Amino acid sequence: MQPVIQVQHLSKQYKNIKAVDALSFTVNEGDVYGFLGQNGAGKSTTIRMLLTLIKPTEGEIELFGLKLNMHRNEILRNIGAVIEKPDVYKYLSAYNNLKLFARMSGIHPKEKKILEQLDMVGLKERAYDKVQTYSQGMKQRLGIAIALIHDPRLIILDEPTNGLDPQGIADIRNLILHLSREMNKTLLISSHLLNEMEQVATRLLIIDKGKKIVEGTTAELFDPAQTLLELETLNNAETLALIKNSEWQTGLQPQRNNNILIKLHRNTIPDFHIWLVQHNAKIVSLQARHSLEDYFLQITSGTQHVAAFTN
Amino acid sequence: MWQLLQIELYKIFGRPRTYIAFGAITTLIILLQFGLKVDGQEYADFMLQNLGNFDVQGKLLNGYMVCYLILQLMLVHVPLLVTLVAADVISGEANAGTLRLVLSKPYSRSSVVLAKFFATGIYTLLLLIWIAFLALFVSVMIFGTSDLFLMKTDYIVLIKQDDVFWRYCCAFCFAFVSLITVASVGFFLSSFAENSIGPIITTMSVIILFTVLGTLNLRIFNAINPYLFTSNMVIWKEFFDEKVNANNEAIAGSIQDMPAIIHSLIILSIYIIVLISATIFVMKKKDILS
Repeated sequence: MQPVIQVQHLSKQYKNIKAVDALSFTVNEGDVYGFLGQNGAGKSTTIRMLLTLIKPTEGEIELFGLKLNMHRNEILRNIGAVIEKPDVYKYLSAYNNLKLFARMSGIHPKEKKILEQLDMVGLKERAYDKVQTYSQGMKQRLGIAIALIHDPRLIILDEPTNGLDPQGIADIRNLILHLSREMNKTLLISSHLLNEMEQVATRLLIIDKGKKIVEGTTAELFDPAQTLLELETLNNAETLALIKNSEWQTGLQPQRNNNILIKLHRNTIPDFHIWLVQHNAKIVSLQARHSLEDYFLQITSGTQHVAAFTN
Repeated sequence: MWQLLQIELYKIFGRPRTYIAFGAITTLIILLQFGLKVDGQEYADFMLQNLGNFDVQGKLLNGYMVCYLILQLMLVHVPLLVTLVAADVISGEANAGTLRLVLSKPYSRSSVVLAKFFATGIYTLLLLIWIAFLALFVSVMIFGTSDLFLMKTDYIVLIKQDDVFWRYCCAFCFAFVSLITVASVGFFLSSFAENSIGPIITTMSVIILFTVLGTLNLRIFNAINPYLFTSNMVIWKEFFDEKVNANNEAIAGSIQDMPAIIHSLIILSIYIIVLISATIFVMKKKDILS
């Protein structure tokens, strides 16, 4: 596969702080590349360097086979990005924002095309309302529509689910999957939400304190035998006692937020589910969780990261 | 560049703040015209009171005179109103978070800065045209025309009415250069800030400070006075001063001190060029962290 992004020994030094430290990675065409790390790990700085907003102290960046410092405009024409918050012109409507940013990207879309784009992100009904009346989730979707309006080859989304409610997060996840599977776009998505990344990313890069920790496919990074489940029932104490007296008790982990945590092989999760139902456990939720988080904790040996990754 | 300029104009004129200046100026001028229409004769009598037995033929309080009075009164206000927009053009976008989106588009930073500056220039020009329309044309419509009678510090200038209009045209052109200088100061300060309050207040402070320094008649400040942009901004008044011949008669179509006007235009142009070049330099070097 053709590399879309090639980063070599990229560093950014701010006085006494090294925000990014000799970072190298490659994103191939068609990847949904998850760029993971806790807040302050250097993800946004790296993304800003990819978009020429920040000048690297050292290192080289190539996009679409071209050096960024020599072919800036040509490269940026093929990138759509949402950088951190989706800030747009609040005194303009979504339609006018989209029209304006399309022009900045060198295209003059017709009204129909703009409305189609807004329809794709579920904002067609509010197309002519001023953005200052939008919710955070709507602004996020508008930001994505702006990133897509000029049909870029590469889409960069920096923390796209920040500040969204569960429905908003699910909408963004579905949109990412649609862009990848139906529209064959290459995506670089930064996030500190590991569960979300697990569900959409084909490849992952984990960074900490500006340094690469690990890079690989989700299959390479996860051990299916160590899938962590979080179980919530109407009576957790009763259910816990039930599990302790069964063959499943070997996987039990210390409880979190009063919920039951249990490590199982991925293939046995359906059987566990059936067993719970058969034993009248009143299930509120059963979710595979934090396998990547556990992995992260192992490799960074940092318990201090737990809070950041579970928020 | 044309594309970017159109976008910047669209943004400036899509913003409610832009119209504050137009609203404020309209209110101010209409109030002044109303006041002079009602109590103008009293004001004219007061002016003549100090002249003793000076006989004035024609209408002393005419449209040209009213326009001159308005322009004098607005010397301080208009630069402040221009600052409201100019100092917000870059920092306002940094504060709103849209600057990072704009600068990640396929245009060089120099083009973006220049487009923003030219858009600010067009805004300033439109503001000035609006002032000219209200202060000159509306005043002429309300008060009519006659010779322009001006009292300088130690002499009187009387300009024939058919010799006035072109002077106003020149004065407005000069005012445009002056206001662009003020805009450049705001624009430059805007490139350092992440919100517009700081550059707006700083620009206003610079205007006030320079004006005070220019007004103080102290030897230590007299050396720098000719180089302060505020001292050069008031030179538009020179367009309303005529040369006199050997018989002490005014020469129609003449300007008393043309070298002073040219000197001021050069100083103001240097300010504009230096400040805009510095803004481009700062923006090219700047990491966008907003």
